[in-house]
Amino acid sequence: MARIQLENVKKAFGKVQALDGITIDVKDKEFFVLFGPAGAGKTTILNCIAGIAMPEEGVVKFGDEVMNLTDPAHRNVAMVFENYALYPQMTVYDNMASALRSKLYKASEEEIAERIQWAAKTMKMENLLERLPSQLSNGQKQRVAMGRALVRTPNVFLMDEPLAHLDAKLRNSMRTELKEMQANLGSTCIYVTHDFMEAMALGDRIAIINKGKIVQIGTGDEIYYMPCNEFTAQLMGEPQINIFEATVAATNDGFDAKINVCGEEITLALPKDDNVYSKIKEQGMVRCDIGIRPQNVKYSFEPKEGYFKSTVYSYESIGNKSVIVAECGDYQLRMIAPNGLNVEIDSDVYIKLEMDHIILFDFESKEYIVRYDEASFIALAASKEEE
Amino acid sequence: MKTGKQRALYVLQNFLLIVYAIFALFPLIWMVLITFKSDTEVFTTTFLFHPTLANYQEVLLRSNYARYILDSVIVSGGAVLVSVIVGVPAAYALARYNFPRKEELAFQILSYKFAPEILVVLPLFMIYQKIGLYDSYVGLIWVYQLISLPLLIWVVRGYFEDISVEIEYAAQVDGYSWYQIFFKMLVPLIKPGLVSSALLAFIFAWNSFTFPLILSSNKVYPVTVAIMKYLGTDSAHYGQLAVASTVSALPAVIFALCIQKHLVRGLSFGAVKG
Repeated sequence: MARIQLENVKKAFGKVQALDGITIDVKDKEFFVLFGPAGAGKTTILNCIAGIAMPEEGVVKFGDEVMNLTDPAHRNVAMVFENYALYPQMTVYDNMASALRSKLYKASEEEIAERIQWAAKTMKMENLLERLPSQLSNGQKQRVAMGRALVRTPNVFLMDEPLAHLDAKLRNSMRTELKEMQANLGSTCIYVTHDFMEAMALGDRIAIINKGKIVQIGTGDEIYYMPCNEFTAQLMGEPQINIFEATVAATNDGFDAKINVCGEEITLALPKDDNVYSKIKEQGMVRCDIGIRPQNVKYSFEPKEGYFKSTVYSYESIGNKSVIVAECGDYQLRMIAPNGLNVEIDSDVYIKLEMDHIILFDFESKEYIVRYDEASFIALAASKEEE
Repeated sequence: MKTGKQRALYVLQNFLLIVYAIFALFPLIWMVLITFKSDTEVFTTTFLFHPTLANYQEVLLRSNYARYILDSVIVSGGAVLVSVIVGVPAAYALARYNFPRKEELAFQILSYKFAPEILVVLPLFMIYQKIGLYDSYVGLIWVYQLISLPLLIWVVRGYFEDISVEIEYAAQVDGYSWYQIFFKMLVPLIKPGLVSSALLAFIFAWNSFTFPLILSSNKVYPVTVAIMKYLGTDSAHYGQLAVASTVSALPAVIFALCIQKHLVRGLSFGAVKG
């Protein structure tokens, strides 16, 4: 097990800059999640760590050792490939045994059998061991690919969306299992996903990747509550965060935010928060983007004090709750509602924003400025870090 | 229960197949029959004749037929062997690596098969005379590469391209060296393609006539050229000719039957996400 460091790693495929100066420092025994949209360069980072891709610039270090010139076989990494990459001519058992039968990582046949039994049991596939990959479903193949990595004791586990093709129930149980297993094995694990839930549930820390660059690194809470820009804020959270423009104006004892709802100007008072106020003053803020999570948007179907009017664009269930989307002119507001409401499309809905939960972003650069209650979230992140 | 219409269709289908089978097999059957006929009976078209083994005795025991067969085995087998040794790595390179003018190179290899043999054989004859490859095993094996190598490279390349490159990566990560990966992981996957193309290459080389006719004379005497001997200048011994042809067809048939079980496709399916 080892600490994995990448320093300013760059990699291009032809004219496409796949990685543009990636620097990460994964601690020993950490569960590190790479999270980002498709084509962001997550898999290329794993390939650089495994030695399959050669970075043009930058350093890859395992512990204190520079690994740039070490071939994949000698790096002792276990990798789960996104497309499984099982050996088609071998049974599941032989697939899983393959690393332990190579000259470099040789183990006795008894030990191999024991470890495969354990891995098969954890991945719930004891009945599949004698089959060929062509006789497996995609979910089963994915479990075999996981099992092939788990039987080893490598420097680092590299997992490329290993749960993406499992059915929902199995995925949830695997997620729990995986986290526990990683803690028990005491192994470093770098995990690629584009599932927000997986990233939050598994990662000790999460790195947000976009267009070959690291956008933000932090614990799940840090990134969720204090996203460094609007891109990250939109990536983290389901349903997506609401972001809309606002103008800021000073009042007698504080500030107001004015937003446009269907052509009408709505004035919302910004509650008092010394930190927020000082940032607004400091910047002489006139315009900003406001971000607010759907759970902080309240709705009513009757006119109420402090609520503004809008119309329902859609109402759909996302499992144990539903999302109401309200039309507000240039943008839409998402809010959480219980299931089973009788909501008609285009009917009136009255909305209240809980302004003491908003995040302020810069109007131009879309960068994070400040949020309400920032100190308590910093403290929360710090306490998690200590654990 | 089958309806009358279905039954009629079934009968018709089988009838047509039988007609085709007779059409396809009759020349071969006739050839085999001729081998048992004496020269005087060769031209009779009835199936009644006095069977004799004289032709077999004449060809197999009293001529150099065994040597001709051996020569054919050496040059055809040698040609296929060289093609496999050279062609498999070439196919791998064409499938996996990117280098400038790759497709042009692949096409050029294929283009060796475009020219009729008779077109290239004359210049080759003169070159072979000059550099001392005329009438030698090496010379024939070399020129047979024009027949067998393009075929093998193109078929095997397709098989390599079907194998996901991640399988190689996975094996590297599992601790295997390139050679181990090649022989343990890749060769089993390309085997059906390799076997079938090698078999075809062998048959083409075995049946090749123009090259050995012009490029060899006494020292190397493949069976295709040797058969001509039985068409004597004054008399044609059709019975002996038939024996020589029949026996020369056997090795390819036997070879094909032996490796038939390796000709299964579909091994490489199911390895990666489909």
